[in-house]
Amino acid sequence: MGPVSTTLLELREVGKTFGDTVALAPTSLAVEEGSFVAIVGPSGCGKSTMFNVVAGLLEPDGGEVVLRGATITATTGHVGYMLQKDLLVPWRTVEDNITMATRLTRRVTDEDRAEARRVARQYGLGEFLRHYPSALSGGMRQRVAFMRTLVTHQELLLLDEPFGALDAQTRLEMQEWLLRVWKDTGRTVLFITHDVDESIFLSDRIVVMSPRPGRVVADLVNPLSRPRGIHTLLEPDFIALKAKVLGLLHGGDA
Amino acid sequence: MRRRVLLNVGVPILSLLLVLGVWQLIVVGFHVASYIAPRPREAITSVTSQWSTLWPLILGTIRETIYGYLIGAVLGFALGVVMAKIPVIQRLVYPVILVSQAVPVIALAPVLVIILGFGIVPKIVIVTWIVFFPVTVNVLDGLGHVDPDLKNLARVYGASRWRTFVQIEVPASTTPLFSGLKIGAIYAVTGAIIGELAASEGNSLALYQEHANSNLNTAAVYGTTMVMTLIGIAWFLLVVGLEVWSTPWQRRSVARRRWRRGVEGPAG
Ligand SMILES: Nc1ncnc2c1ncn2[C@@H]1O[C@H](COP(=O)(O)OP(=O)(O)O)[C@@H](O)[C@H]1O
Ligand SMILES: [Mg+2]
Repeated sequence: MGPVSTTLLELREVGKTFGDTVALAPTSLAVEEGSFVAIVGPSGCGKSTMFNVVAGLLEPDGGEVVLRGATITATTGHVGYMLQKDLLVPWRTVEDNITMATRLTRRVTDEDRAEARRVARQYGLGEFLRHYPSALSGGMRQRVAFMRTLVTHQELLLLDEPFGALDAQTRLEMQEWLLRVWKDTGRTVLFITHDVDESIFLSDRIVVMSPRPGRVVADLVNPLSRPRGIHTLLEPDFIALKAKVLGLLHGGDA
Repeated sequence: MRRRVLLNVGVPILSLLLVLGVWQLIVVGFHVASYIAPRPREAITSVTSQWSTLWPLILGTIRETIYGYLIGAVLGFALGVVMAKIPVIQRLVYPVILVSQAVPVIALAPVLVIILGFGIVPKIVIVTWIVFFPVTVNVLDGLGHVDPDLKNLARVYGASRWRTFVQIEVPASTTPLFSGLKIGAIYAVTGAIIGELAASEGNSLALYQEHANSNLNTAAVYGTTMVMTLIGIAWFLLVVGLEVWSTPWQRRSVARRRWRRGVEGPAG
């Protein structure tokens, strides 16, 4: 078969029902180590539910979540996780918010702090280290939230519409920023969005989900080369892929 | 900066002076007899002229207030936490504390004196009784309104319940906690005075006032009342000061430099 690649995450027939609502039909999905996988689907199709299952917040009705060969179903502490809401705590500075995940599991050391400062400086937050979150713009706050996710040292990062609340200009900046950090750190990213452009701009692979009850209707390889930039948005491959994804989402022919 | 200080300190002082002014105007304007209402100056003089007698009594009232307040605040906080964390206890305890607050303290005070004697203990108990309630109710409310997404995030990180409580839930509840503490601070002195009144023996500010009253020394009655009020206000301001000091993020956008490198800041 093809080249050997390591599977980091595997969902095996994972489904979730709330009362009568099938939030997520039994779904299987494999994510390669180091890849950037976008998940697109209409609102309410179970994307966040899938993340909550992977994160261990929800116990699935059935199936298994496997991370690097080990079953982690319904257990927490194995992934990085970030939402549209930045969830920064107002009573801590940027630096202390970045180390928040650590603080929640053990005592924060000088090394932890030094690392927080280093990544913050490296990715454009250096001058805000001692600011409280209330002084930051939405984009900056999301950067801090992402840094907080990053210093957990989890290999798998679940990002649930992290830029959903930002204006278009800021969002594009954030997308380029995220790609830079991703390239530097080599993490594996699962990225939920309902913005088709965003999913194509960022990903190696696009998983398209159907309306409720959510299931995977297509799993597309993204042929666009990296590094990506504004120019990417105008490439024929981009347009073609966009037409395809939109077609899948809206059932039209494209 | 200067403008803010003027606004925050100057204006409240002005409004208090205004009250004294209105008092003066009423007493003078309506020719109120001095055994009904003295002029502000007379009331103040009645205090300053008896200062050496009054000062130990004032200290006594302050001591009762502080002890009762501290116990009430700690107890109130602990009770709020336990009730928030264990729903059965909440259902069990809520009616009891409601009843405890519906009982008129003033009717309860003599009973406490009978049980606990004329010393400081019944006064402390009354202050505690009054102070714990707003603290408990506000802490309960605050802990119940912590963003569930934030608690979920802590869970995803693998946080223990204890660390989530200390690092997330308590700091997220500081505003309601201080609301409770401020309400308690204002009522604490009243509790101490009720306790002093109920104990018809011993030396206390309340009994001093009662004595003045039976001697028709109206100026001293008013003066003592002013002293009691000032103790309450001072205590309230102290709590406000504590709140301001412990919640720098509510006033500034940049944290002050850490005074001890490598040690966590004061918040949380
Ligand atoms: N805790 C819950 N209890 C009941 N229903 C839920 C819960 N979480 C999600 N749902 C329902 O499951 C469906 C999928 O939700 P969600 O995973 O949040 O969708 P998405 O993130 O794709 O917009 C929705 O219909 C939602 O109302
Ligand atoms: Mg969602």
